Amino acid sequence: MKYADWPLSAPVNLTWEVTHQCNLKCIHCLSSSSVESPGELDEAECRAIVDQLATLKVFEINFGGGEPLLKDYFLPLLRYIHTRGIVTCISTNGTVLTDEAVACFTGNPLVNVQVSLDGATPEVNDRIRGQGTFHRIIKGIERLAGKNIPLSINTVVTSLNFMQLSQLKEMAGSYGASLRVSRFRPSGRARDSWEMLRLNPEQLRGLSDWLGDDPSILTGDSFFSISQDGRRHLGLDMCGACKMTCCIDPCGFVYPCAFMQEREFCGGNLRETTFKDIWDNSAAFQYFRQLEPEACRKCPRFNSCRGGCPAVAYFVSRDLNSADPECLINWSRDISAAPPLEGK
Amino acid sequence: MTCRLADNVQVRKENWGLLFYLETRHKVFFVRSGDWLYPEHFDGTWTFDGIINDIARRTETPAEIIERSLPRLTERLIRNRMIIDEVC
Repeated sequence: MKYADWPLSAPVNLTWEVTHQCNLKCIHCLSSSSVESPGELDEAECRAIVDQLATLKVFEINFGGGEPLLKDYFLPLLRYIHTRGIVTCISTNGTVLTDEAVACFTGNPLVNVQVSLDGATPEVNDRIRGQGTFHRIIKGIERLAGKNIPLSINTVVTSLNFMQLSQLKEMAGSYGASLRVSRFRPSGRARDSWEMLRLNPEQLRGLSDWLGDDPSILTGDSFFSISQDGRRHLGLDMCGACKMTCCIDPCGFVYPCAFMQEREFCGGNLRETTFKDIWDNSAAFQYFRQLEPEACRKCPRFNSCRGGCPAVAYFVSRDLNSADPECLINWSRDISAAPPLEGK
Repeated sequence: MTCRLADNVQVRKENWGLLFYLETRHKVFFVRSGDWLYPEHFDGTWTFDGIINDIARRTETPAEIIERSLPRLTERLIRNRMIIDEVC
């Protein structure tokens, strides 16, 4: 039995999108963030949710969005969470940092900060995150660097920045930060940019090899299905949605993960029921816990990956029983089937 | 000798045992200890003998079985830096 199959009374960590408001309009944004949604939770409601999570001993909350620092109550909420001993990771675009935010993060053992940067040059980053953002993000990283803040630069790997990964790692190192890479997945605005930004099979192989050679690169979830076995022990080795993690959206809806925010996968709303009830009893969560995609069951790697990332599979094929199209088996097959390149 | 949680480690009870969480590395550590161990056993006040007596009382497991098995479990936790043993 894999560890992720051991039933948990609550998630290990969860993603909490506190707002859909964002000052940027990245073309791959997983939640299509731009303006605040009607009915976003207020501070008192958020604190009540924190109380529930603390009672359940959820260890870690990863804040994203939207840009969490644009929520007026975000820093007070963060301080409140820290009084409950919960570890936090703040994912920010780095362009709206205030002195108060930097002071709140500095030397705080319960804070980790992740700044999103999608290219090592303005030409690449700004095509994804918007004109002029590269220099603004770098200024943000410079404000955080060297301040006793566990810092990482997060890059969503796309066909545009694939060739700059080593450069991004060096750049992160120069600020005393780690490089964390995330898979590009076709949810939110990324559905419209999927075909343009997705990696081709050769690039997926290159990424897998690169990650295999460098254990210092941090990876987000879902890399287990595209990576070689040597790296698998470094992180979660199967989809953790509804088993070890989940996602709370700005309006209190709870989903299996940040990439599966579809109404049909919603476990419930925290204005109507408790987090514990959703985690234990919602039909959507129970379904995800036993999900074993039909397309994968005969695969020789099934026991090691259990079907890869359901979000990619679902948004590409609209079928949770299909395979993650970017899994190691699929990209290897695609490479084998491709006609040899002329002159190669 | 007492045991306490190592710095930057949290733990919670699950129905199959204990789930440890290492804050700095964001890693979890699963310990299938069933109903034997509770997070309170690592608050620094419980002696090893006290834990054995507590398990025996709650689970009606003979003390000699616990004495034989528990050190393996706690040694693994010490080795993985989840807990620290301290001389009283």
